[in-house]
Amino acid sequence: MRKRKILVTGIGGYWGSRVAQALVQNPVYQVLGLDTVAPQQPVPGMDFIQADIRNPLLVELLKSEKIDTVYHLAFRNTERPSEAAFDYNVMGTMKVFGACAAAGVRKIIFKSSTAVYGAAPQNSAFLREDHPLNGSRSHGSIRYLMEVEAFCNGFRRQSPEVNLTILRFASVVGPTADAPLVRYLRQPVSAVLMGFDPMMQIIHEDDVVDALVHAGEGDYPGIFNVAAEDVIPLTKLLGLAGQRRVPVFHPFAYWGYGLFGSRGLRFTRHLPIELDYIRYRWVGDLQKMREVLGFAASHTAEETLRQFAEQRSAKKPVLEISVPASYDADHLRETIERRHVSETQAGGGESLEATDE
Amino acid sequence: MSKNSRPRCAATTKSGRPCKNYALEGERYCWVHLPGDEQPSPSPEVETAPDSSAAFAPEAESGPADADFTPDEIRQLRAELLRELSELVERLRELQPDYEPPSFPMRRLRGLFGRLRPGMPAALESQLVELFGENYQEEIFNPETWKGLWYMVHYTVQYQADFLKRRVTGEYETDEWGLDWEFVEVILPFFEFLYYKYFRVTATGLENIPDYGRALLVSNHSGQLPWDGAMITTATYTEHPAQRLTRSLYATWFPTLPFISTILERGGQVMATVDNGTRLLEQDELVAVFPEGYKGVGKLFKDRYKLARFGRGGFAKMAMDTQSPIVPVAVVGAEETYISVYKSQTLARLTGFPYFPISLRFPWFGLLGLLPLPTKWYIDFGTPISTDAYEPDAGKNLVLVSQLADQVRNVVQEMIYQRLAQRSSVFRG
Repeated sequence: MRKRKILVTGIGGYWGSRVAQALVQNPVYQVLGLDTVAPQQPVPGMDFIQADIRNPLLVELLKSEKIDTVYHLAFRNTERPSEAAFDYNVMGTMKVFGACAAAGVRKIIFKSSTAVYGAAPQNSAFLREDHPLNGSRSHGSIRYLMEVEAFCNGFRRQSPEVNLTILRFASVVGPTADAPLVRYLRQPVSAVLMGFDPMMQIIHEDDVVDALVHAGEGDYPGIFNVAAEDVIPLTKLLGLAGQRRVPVFHPFAYWGYGLFGSRGLRFTRHLPIELDYIRYRWVGDLQKMREVLGFAASHTAEETLRQFAEQRSAKKPVLEISVPASYDADHLRETIERRHVSETQAGGGESLEATDE
Repeated sequence: MSKNSRPRCAATTKSGRPCKNYALEGERYCWVHLPGDEQPSPSPEVETAPDSSAAFAPEAESGPADADFTPDEIRQLRAELLRELSELVERLRELQPDYEPPSFPMRRLRGLFGRLRPGMPAALESQLVELFGENYQEEIFNPETWKGLWYMVHYTVQYQADFLKRRVTGEYETDEWGLDWEFVEVILPFFEFLYYKYFRVTATGLENIPDYGRALLVSNHSGQLPWDGAMITTATYTEHPAQRLTRSLYATWFPTLPFISTILERGGQVMATVDNGTRLLEQDELVAVFPEGYKGVGKLFKDRYKLARFGRGGFAKMAMDTQSPIVPVAVVGAEETYISVYKSQTLARLTGFPYFPISLRFPWFGLLGLLPLPTKWYIDFGTPISTDAYEPDAGKNLVLVSQLADQVRNVVQEMIYQRLAQRSSVFRG
């Protein structure tokens, strides 16, 4: 039986390596990982290809390897917008998607966040996937996710033959993930806005991986919110995670934040995104996840937080990996040719064996 | 926590009002009015004592100062008291199986008393004698008495501390909208005070609200601050036999306010969007809407009881989409709680308020101006308007939606006029 070939971009990052580790368990898949740096822990059974996602030869790699599905997980998280991050996150994604369309890739899976809806007082309690994207434009990651999603709208019209699945995940919590909410929970104390206690939605890091793998198993074109079923208040979230909180009167918090950025809050530097996100509600509606995607998170929010509280002292978060912006075109060309030759040789070997019998 | 549906005590207090304590489990009366074996009618002392010390009142009575009791009766009473105490301890253990009362330092207390006694003022000594009799030391040092008291105080303190601690450690439950039943029970006394004592609300037509299943209450809106929403919720929660908690839909401005946003959310109220209302009705909740919105609540005094435009008919669409009956509600009395004479655009823009009323008392008297006038209120729940007859996709037909919205508006206006015609005084009804 012919194996399904899957390319995972951003393999050097946390999500890339986690998803690749889950995918290689399935014998039907042949997994290739693409990044400028190797994964921190080697993934057995995966071929690593060292190249930047913006490499113009990507389309040739996709063609020669006959890639069926691309997990686009190369995304550089950043609090502040910058040209380098824009080039990698937005231009990089456009280049990957363009190459996929040109090379006849059947399916693309992209990981986004429910933060793109934005936290606003006029939000409905449960935001459906067609809600306009009013996320924070001053937060780098959210801004670039919104730009990518806007590009995806156009891409879906231009290349309807490509099956594009976007999973919008709630705030990730888990013992190993390095996510904004995890950083918020790992500080000595967490700032909250006095008198505000919005309902929050989270998801366990293992469920993120499960959902991404699940999305690759069938055809689910479209956008899906993915989160744990239970929605809990912020104070309960902090309480269950064993975190102490410091209430700040909100005009002062906004004032400090406006003057000094996240440093305005001194020893509680990290926020889950921005102040509005701990003031207003931004909970995604999960009906489409349940009914169309057919996915259910295996950890409830309460379980996830209790587990996090137990393990929080045990492990340090994974460090962010810096990616050089080199377009190592020649290196990738050599890789493609070498792999092509070895593949034909291997194929020849097989046919020889067949004739022997 | 589930809805508290314990019945109230069936007795009448000394002042002639129905007793407001909850009845004991499996009894018709509360602990104050529970008829004892010896005493068919409780003594006034016991009845008026509000705190935990009342439970020990029979003990005080048993002193020799009360000449009506023979030594036999006193012994009987004491046995009775000890039995009650052990029952109480049993019950506390049932509530909290892992509850372990700390050991009581009897010997140290006895030693302390022995040391204090010589230096005790004569007045205190004589008072103690009067209270407990000659051998008061025996009474005071009766370990069972103190143990019971100690259990009770300790349990009460522990329960309160536990409630607060669970807020901090996150061990409490909310539904997906943020409703917290424990919180509702905590804030309920304040709204009951407003409902029964301050506005003296008379609610009629509560039988028009179904015991279970979806229904949409549509009410007029008035009074500068949304007391009317709170009173409608209190009416359905305290007076309706099924104790239904109304989920009122509130305006976009409230989520921006500290504390108020949280109190509304934990109290089961929800931000007003068509999506939220439809979802609540699909979950078979009782939903209240105020289609007049800011135009209604910020009404000037001269415009009182004249309904403003009923929004864009979103509530009619919600009812049609979910086939929910519409219960028209007329609130009379709320429109006179503040006498607003002018709305300042400039101050509204400066403060960020949706409207800034200038009333006879606000802002001149500061926060005192926020105090509503104690008018007499009537809340009338009208005959439900059924939406079953509409096609399932009638909500998309804008003509039908606006027709239904107008129909409901006329019914509410008519109900207001009827009540106004019957009313003779703003403050006495």
